[in-house]
Amino acid sequence: MLAMQRLGFLPDRRLYRAMASLLVLLALVCLASLLLGAGDVGPARAWSVLMGRGDPEARFVLDSLRLPRTLVGLVVGVALGVAGALLQAVSRNPLAEPGLLGVSAGAAFAVALALVLGATATTLRVGVAQLGAMAGCLCVMGVARVSGAGNDPVRLVLAGAALTGLLLSLTSLLLLFDQRAADEIRFWIVGSLAGRQLEHLFALMPSLLVAAAIVLAVARPLAALSLGERVASGLGHRPDLIRVLVIVAVALLVGAATATAGPIAFVGLVVPFAARALAGPDIRRTLWLCLPLGPLMVITADIISRLLVAPSELPLGVLTALCGAPVLVAVVRARRMPTL
Amino acid sequence: MRCDAPLESQTRQRAAEVRGDAQASVAAPEGHWRLAWLVPGDAAPCSLLIDRRAFTACLLLLAALVAGSLAYLAMGSSALAPRAVLPALLGRGEMMAVFLVQELRLPRLVAAWLTGAAFGVAGCLMQTLARNRLATPGIIGIDNGATAFAVASVVGLGVTLAPPAMALAGAATAAAITFGLAAGGGTRGYRFIVAGIGVGAVFGAITQLLLAKVSIDTANAAYPWTVGTLNARPAGAVTLLAIGLAFGLAAALWLIRSLSLLRFSDAVATTLGIPVARRRWQVLVVSVLLTGLAVAVAGPVGLVGLIGPEIARSLSSPRGVPVIASALAGALVMVLADLAGRVLLAPIEIPVGIVTAVVGGPWLLWILLRPASRNLA
Repeated sequence: MLAMQRLGFLPDRRLYRAMASLLVLLALVCLASLLLGAGDVGPARAWSVLMGRGDPEARFVLDSLRLPRTLVGLVVGVALGVAGALLQAVSRNPLAEPGLLGVSAGAAFAVALALVLGATATTLRVGVAQLGAMAGCLCVMGVARVSGAGNDPVRLVLAGAALTGLLLSLTSLLLLFDQRAADEIRFWIVGSLAGRQLEHLFALMPSLLVAAAIVLAVARPLAALSLGERVASGLGHRPDLIRVLVIVAVALLVGAATATAGPIAFVGLVVPFAARALAGPDIRRTLWLCLPLGPLMVITADIISRLLVAPSELPLGVLTALCGAPVLVAVVRARRMPTL
Repeated sequence: MRCDAPLESQTRQRAAEVRGDAQASVAAPEGHWRLAWLVPGDAAPCSLLIDRRAFTACLLLLAALVAGSLAYLAMGSSALAPRAVLPALLGRGEMMAVFLVQELRLPRLVAAWLTGAAFGVAGCLMQTLARNRLATPGIIGIDNGATAFAVASVVGLGVTLAPPAMALAGAATAAAITFGLAAGGGTRGYRFIVAGIGVGAVFGAITQLLLAKVSIDTANAAYPWTVGTLNARPAGAVTLLAIGLAFGLAAALWLIRSLSLLRFSDAVATTLGIPVARRRWQVLVVSVLLTGLAVAVAGPVGLVGLIGPEIARSLSSPRGVPVIASALAGALVMVLADLAGRVLLAPIEIPVGIVTAVVGGPWLLWILLRPASRNLA
């Protein structure tokens, strides 16, 4: 119990209540993700499979299509939500979001480059995406330090948007150059959960465990850092070390999520935004709430992407953008930009 | 009383200077040429001040544009000798060369000129309006709005309007939303631009949504609008753009005096006799018109609207708003970018939107990150 408290799970009825209701919602959404689909296996047939009966076709659809998809959605949502919260805390900028700042685009570009150079293996793709995400992270954070843009949240976002645009067009240039690579990642580059297998998840596990360990170690110092660098130093933390660790964690998380589901923007913006609205500004509580909120958003978007244009599918990024851009505008329009 | 006589003569002399003999007695301000000509029936000559540096910049850009255009006509998957281009343009020489130049490359070159000039002028106007050099139509989401609407008309959502009309409607809608959202905080500062990025993201998502709903053939037909290319120009759109550009340029030149004063604060502009609110509307309408029509031809190549005015401004004098130079520089950028796209990876053609994004992205980053950010204001 004490360990839980150290990590921010304070005996706080509000947090417990929010957490409980979010978990219930998440369970419902996961169930819906199993029951609903673009194909002709309807909710009734899917339900009978869940009850242990059901015909082989429905069983196949559930076991090898919808279940992996839901699990991938869970992992990707957690990774993107937590990465967003971390990045916002460390840059003290409510608009810092891996997709907006060019971290996802860096990962996508790295994957495209690796494919054009002849790589194919799944594990290689994860590592490469994480390296690319790391490069994107370092670019953005370096930019924030060099030019003082870190003090102006909006300028950082603009720099990120420019970097994203540049990397995306370089990626499409690479794909234009190499038809084989283009065919291989055409459905990945737009961001989607469709057709992902459980093996993809297993390939992610080691790096996700490392990232989780880092997050657990860094949550408390990060909360101290939000009081300012001097206060954090005074409390015995080392701000530079914290920053490096957080960036490594963000790169691992975003790289893993991007390698699996493609570049998906705005999840890392909306999820911490909602978590802060529910639980207040303490990063530790925000991180806890990001755990159910991230998958909630990703899986909901995925369900809608299946149903909206059935029998074909939408890229996931379309729905997250439709939902995230208004949040972006709302944050920017706030009279006094909340700094973290 | 005694001193009246010399004073009077002085006054008379000065009046004479002002009225007649102006060429001899009124010196042009530094850095300008003064053209004066007599209008019959009027005592005082009409005169025109020409900014030397701006004029030289326009000439330079024009020369570069001509050279670029000749290269554009000569180079390609089957190259012509530079000497053969001019005769072929006039209809002489080999059949093949004539066909290549007149039928294939010239229409595309004209489209590149027109779209580049339109994007350049639109970008220049919008930058002046928002007093921020990042506030180009491509960045604040107007391009994406136009694209979404044009794609909607291509994939046929029960709307049978032609793509140019739809693109115009989309540009107007996106501009209305962006400026409406910014209404609280004014058009100044970076918040306005980030709000525009948000609007652009929504319209980009809508474009994807529309493309996902239709069959692959229709989606392919709408593809040019999503990346920006001069390869598939809709037939009537170029003519419409030419008309719109003629109108837009004329309007921009008419607005040019107000524009250079709009760069100051509202208070200063109002004191100097500019109806600020009305001029803003006019500038916005012209900019949206040009953007919409240009997107209907070439798709979202909005970074030209950033690069063109930037080149024009660095060449021209800081006194005025370089409308003409922006048009020329925009056309130049477009011609060179499309040329590079056709030649670099031949036989694969790189869409011009990707070329401009690859070139313009670092430029945009540099503008954002250079130490002392010199804003337009």
